[in-house]
Amino acid sequence: MGAGLFGYTVRRLLWCIPVLLTVSVIVFWIVRLAPGDPVDTLLGQRYDPAVADRLRHKYGYDQPIYQQYFTYMNNLFHGDLGVSTRHQDFTVKQVVLPKMWVSTQIGFYAMIITFMLGIPVGVYAALARGTFLDPLIIGSWLMLDAIPIFVLIPVAQWFFALKLGIVGLGYDGVYSSHMILPILLLGLPGVAGVARLMRASVITVVGEDYVRTARAKGLKDETVIITHVARNALLPMVSIIGLSLPGLVGGELFLEELFGIPGIGQESLQAVLAPDFDVVLFLVLFSSTLFVLANVLFDLLYGVIDPRIRLGEARG
Amino acid sequence: MSNRTLTLLMGFVAFLILIVGIVFVIAVVGGGGGSSSTAASTSPKTSSSGVTGDICQGNTLVTFGEDPASVLDPIQVRDVGTAEYVIEIFGGLVTLDLNLKVQPDIAASWKVSPDGKAYTFTLRDNVVFQNNRKVTAQDVKYSLERAADPANNSPTVTLYLGNIVGVLDRYNGKAKDVSGVKVIDDKTVEIDLLQPSDYFLAELTQPVAFVVDHEQIDKDPRNWTQHPNGTGPFKLSQFTPADKVVLTRNDRYHLGAAKLDSVVFELGGGSLLTRYQNNELHIGAVPPIDLEAVKAGTSSLSADYKPQPLMDTSYIAFNTRQAPFDDPLVREAFAMSIDRDRINTVLLYGTQRVATSILPPEMPGHNDQVAGYGYDPAKAKQLLAQSKYAGKMPHITLTYAGAGGDAPEILQAIQSGWQDALGITVDLQASEYSAYLRDLRKGTYQMFDAGWAADYPDPEDFLDKLFASDSQQNEQGYNNPAVDALLKQARTETDRTKRFSLYSQAEQKILDDAAIIPTFWPIDHTLVKSCVQNWPSVAMPVPKYRYISIDASKEK
Repeated sequence: MGAGLFGYTVRRLLWCIPVLLTVSVIVFWIVRLAPGDPVDTLLGQRYDPAVADRLRHKYGYDQPIYQQYFTYMNNLFHGDLGVSTRHQDFTVKQVVLPKMWVSTQIGFYAMIITFMLGIPVGVYAALARGTFLDPLIIGSWLMLDAIPIFVLIPVAQWFFALKLGIVGLGYDGVYSSHMILPILLLGLPGVAGVARLMRASVITVVGEDYVRTARAKGLKDETVIITHVARNALLPMVSIIGLSLPGLVGGELFLEELFGIPGIGQESLQAVLAPDFDVVLFLVLFSSTLFVLANVLFDLLYGVIDPRIRLGEARG
Repeated sequence: MSNRTLTLLMGFVAFLILIVGIVFVIAVVGGGGGSSSTAASTSPKTSSSGVTGDICQGNTLVTFGEDPASVLDPIQVRDVGTAEYVIEIFGGLVTLDLNLKVQPDIAASWKVSPDGKAYTFTLRDNVVFQNNRKVTAQDVKYSLERAADPANNSPTVTLYLGNIVGVLDRYNGKAKDVSGVKVIDDKTVEIDLLQPSDYFLAELTQPVAFVVDHEQIDKDPRNWTQHPNGTGPFKLSQFTPADKVVLTRNDRYHLGAAKLDSVVFELGGGSLLTRYQNNELHIGAVPPIDLEAVKAGTSSLSADYKPQPLMDTSYIAFNTRQAPFDDPLVREAFAMSIDRDRINTVLLYGTQRVATSILPPEMPGHNDQVAGYGYDPAKAKQLLAQSKYAGKMPHITLTYAGAGGDAPEILQAIQSGWQDALGITVDLQASEYSAYLRDLRKGTYQMFDAGWAADYPDPEDFLDKLFASDSQQNEQGYNNPAVDALLKQARTETDRTKRFSLYSQAEQKILDDAAIIPTFWPIDHTLVKSCVQNWPSVAMPVPKYRYISIDASKEK
């Protein structure tokens, strides 16, 4: 397994390079050709053509587009992510990374809540199939999912902060009691979706022959559920988790807006509207890179969880 | 499934959740002293626990602000939001007081030469940077030359300091220094102007003319704006983008130290009103939906309501170079068919001020005698019939900067006014902001929704910038030689009374031509907690936080 898996990994990673280069070319062109000029936005109504020319030259926008692309990529490989025009003279690093880190942490905790609750709720619902508990449990979580978050948030803020007075609302760092409410509001609505997938998955697995065999050999119920049913039913969950990981760095617009969290969601929207070329480019390239890498990583993880999916070795 | 299995499974999950919870709690407790410790040591903590205590007990004002649109370098400031911080951290030769009058700041006094083209400033003896270094005439010269240095790409220097001899030459790379700024001795500096100008001092109150510390900039050219060394009443003690700006008192401030220990600007926005009601902010804003109740006095917030008129004007502008608005009769007809009073009463709960002229009432030089066309649909119809487009009116589109969706209600109301009075259907079209700006300059729009906020309190900033035929900001393409002559005369007139009367004449002519239709003079709907004392009413950003104090005994 060692050499085969290693070779496979290297091959998959090498394939990422042309994919990402293609993405970078396409994204660069789209961003540059989309309507909107950062220097126009920067100067607003106080426009002076001489000043605009100087600023275009400063940011390199007076160069041909392919030249701009090569300059950008060259800087990128040297660790220079460029400068923001919306936050004039701040570097992209200064603008984006702290906000991305805040969003990632909040998204991560919310995701833990979603899966920690969703998986057992799904298993429970599957095992309770045929009783009134199954639709009751899934249905009640679905209700939470069905309320739009921009309705849920103000109601929760009013109730927990103004009515009960047990939480503060302003942002006070990720690790403060102010963040409990936003993390719960971000995590809980997702429970229904995870639970339904898990429920379907468990129902499929419970009917499998090997589960019957395990029971037949007299294994304890909990052993059967945990080692045979849960492990196999978790397989589809792995790809769900894997594909949602890159989304964590994207932030959550409504939540950040309504709780005043300095996350990346709001910044992304404003960067696209401005437009803030280098910020948009970095955000898109970064999340595509994560997405591509997460795909590779979780393809490999599949092999660990399910021995039947071991690609590229022996027979390969 | 047996109950035992389920119980076990649930127990396992409960255990995992417990672990995560413990990690989170440890991080909360530990994090307070860890990652945010630098911030905590330099700035007073605003709210450390979930439920905020009584904010009226401390001596820190908590308000909200905008995420800066540039680094906190005075010569890069281009928006009101960033200016609000920079004017508290830095200072220039002169400043604006709460009545928007020019007052000495770093300069103690100044003399103007008889021809009005040379200003000699004498500096105060006791002005120091926040690191205690004395401010000299060389610092003033350095700061102004730095603003004009083309390598620094200041977006505002040509706009506000272009009248100083040598600034444009320096900016265009034709000179190595700014010849019009001369150091006479350590505490005297002379500034020469291309043309005499009564509003030059008002322009000097702009951030681009502020004094910066060259020692600090030389030492740390890249990151000095993160801990700037200015001369203003407050020091920057924390700036976390999108999170907060914290200013703390400069005890050495030469015009009298602030009463507050610090001012915290929350940048995240969030649910401002809810946070205000939850006693997390001293200053709040009334959302439009609550305005009616707040204004009527039926809301619990009514006692805190402090409407703040702004030195802004919203208007509908015509492209006077294009059909059909090249005919003044058509413009007049359109101006007469907007019932702004009714829009204000019905749509805006009477919370706005109907603009009867271009200059807002707070603007020096505002003249009550000057007035645009009132609502007169019968006359409007008549004028339209006399116009050269009578019976062959082309299709008309009004463009506004917006992201799609429904047009703003005010525009819809105006649109239906034209439909009712003139029978003309005007399309409302949204355009993305930077495309809107670009097309404005190209002059492709027939009519557009716009607004102008004063940079400094002088009518020149509205009338000359928006209506002089050679101005970059004249997007109407408005060209009236009589108005141009008046504006040109006003530029160099040094007698203020005469100058303002020239502006009044120009303003009346512009309104008679219906170059634009002023619609409203906007108002900020501010909420101020009762324990905040001396919250000033001032129509544009001026240094104001040093006057404010917090008195817990005044809390209701």
